[in-house]
Amino acid sequence: MLEKLKFFLSATGNNLWQFRTRNLFSVAIICLSFLTVGIFLSLANNLRATARELAANMTIAFYLDKDLSAAGADTLRREIGRPGFAESVRVVSPEEALERFRASFPELADVVAGLQANPFPPAIEMRVNAKASASKEVAAFVEAARARPGVTDVLFNRDWVEKMQGFSRLAGAVGAFLGGILILTSFFIISNVVKLNVFARKNEIEILRFVGGTNLFIRIPFWLEGVTLGLLGSLLSLALLFIVINLFPVYLGSSLGALQQLLRFRYPGLSQAAALLLGGAATGFVGSATSVSKFLKV
Amino acid sequence: MIELHHIWKQYQKPYWALSDVTLRIEDGDFCFITGPSGSGKTTLLKTIFREIVPTEGQILVNGVNILKIRDSRIYTLRRTMGIVFQDFRLMFHRTVFENVAVPLQVVGVGRKEIRRRVFNTLQKVNLHQKIWEMPGRLSYGEQQRVAIARAVVNNPEFILADEPTGNLDPELAFEIVTLFKEINRQGATVIIGSHDRELIRHFGDNILFLQKGKIVGKEAH
Repeated sequence: MLEKLKFFLSATGNNLWQFRTRNLFSVAIICLSFLTVGIFLSLANNLRATARELAANMTIAFYLDKDLSAAGADTLRREIGRPGFAESVRVVSPEEALERFRASFPELADVVAGLQANPFPPAIEMRVNAKASASKEVAAFVEAARARPGVTDVLFNRDWVEKMQGFSRLAGAVGAFLGGILILTSFFIISNVVKLNVFARKNEIEILRFVGGTNLFIRIPFWLEGVTLGLLGSLLSLALLFIVINLFPVYLGSSLGALQQLLRFRYPGLSQAAALLLGGAATGFVGSATSVSKFLKV
Repeated sequence: MIELHHIWKQYQKPYWALSDVTLRIEDGDFCFITGPSGSGKTTLLKTIFREIVPTEGQILVNGVNILKIRDSRIYTLRRTMGIVFQDFRLMFHRTVFENVAVPLQVVGVGRKEIRRRVFNTLQKVNLHQKIWEMPGRLSYGEQQRVAIARAVVNNPEFILADEPTGNLDPELAFEIVTLFKEINRQGATVIIGSHDRELIRHFGDNILFLQKGKIVGKEAH
């Protein structure tokens, strides 16, 4: 068994070295394909994380009628706090709201000082469970609350969360589309490179057949060759992705202004990195297996 | 034992490369198949190791009809045979050792055993001192001896050689056939396709004469 393994590795090594130019070319194409996938994956990661952060901090403000009694406000608070997705509910008095405004917009202090009366209505603030923030249940609850007596308006900033989630899906889809095309290209390139290697090794394949080599024995080095090319390409793409992630903010980040937050790259997770590597190996294997089964008649 | 019963082979109509060939080669035979170019020597040898499937007929190797073996199981037949070609068919990017070791690696022989058997075989063909050379650096005679070493390293029952001396000068050709004779003495059945009359006259125990795909004569000494 060990001797067979040695033979496979040596045959694979020989193939890779002897045809190094075309092999390097296919590694470069695989690398480019997986780098494209990786970049969009990293962007989608960032957008998804931003959406998660927004969702985690999401509150719904129910503005109340100024004339509502304290008991009425308390009844509403209890009702609003009843659904399972409500993490916390508190009443914000007009005074507290004014204080917050002052703290948030110190440059408008003069305007606030000139006010005759406190313009802020009392409100009930509900913190929503991050997992439920995008659910229809919350949207229906908000709509129903608008119609409640004592509630004058409801502010629910779910749009941003939805936008972030939408961007994230879009980035993922663009990555999958572009990456898919490029991976398909890689597949054909590996398939053709292995085909050329099969033709170049015709003599050796014939010798192996004459000395009693099984189909599997003859094919394994070519499969290994495809897998190695795929793995090398995807490994290189991961290395380049880390360089891009580190260098992007230094060279381009500041010129993006407000978009910097959205177009920030995040490192792929361990499972994503493993998926990229496995994807490379799988592309290499399928590419070479297709070629070998088609052109290697043993 | 190899038996061919009424073998016909046609590559292209209306020519028959083999016409109704029937023969029997006993275990331990040293047999020459001879005839002019295009007489069917190579086709005949190729049908025996099932590189070519005859149009009609039956071939039995040790009683097994090899035409009924599935393509994916042909290796079982080939492992009983050592095949030598006129053009040596060596792997030129591998050392002499690696070339000779291939039939053993194919069947999964252990590392130490491979070293021992390759060295012993190369010693028999007097090439043990060139074990780590690349074949391209050897003379034609030496290259053919490497091919012979590869053919015999796993002690096959049958050695099939197609014009093994075709590229060699008479002296080297003599040396190579002597080597085959020695292998035959050790128990292998040897079948050589050749048109070298001088060699056949000197070494031929059993001679089959082919002409236009037909056996036109047999000689046994």
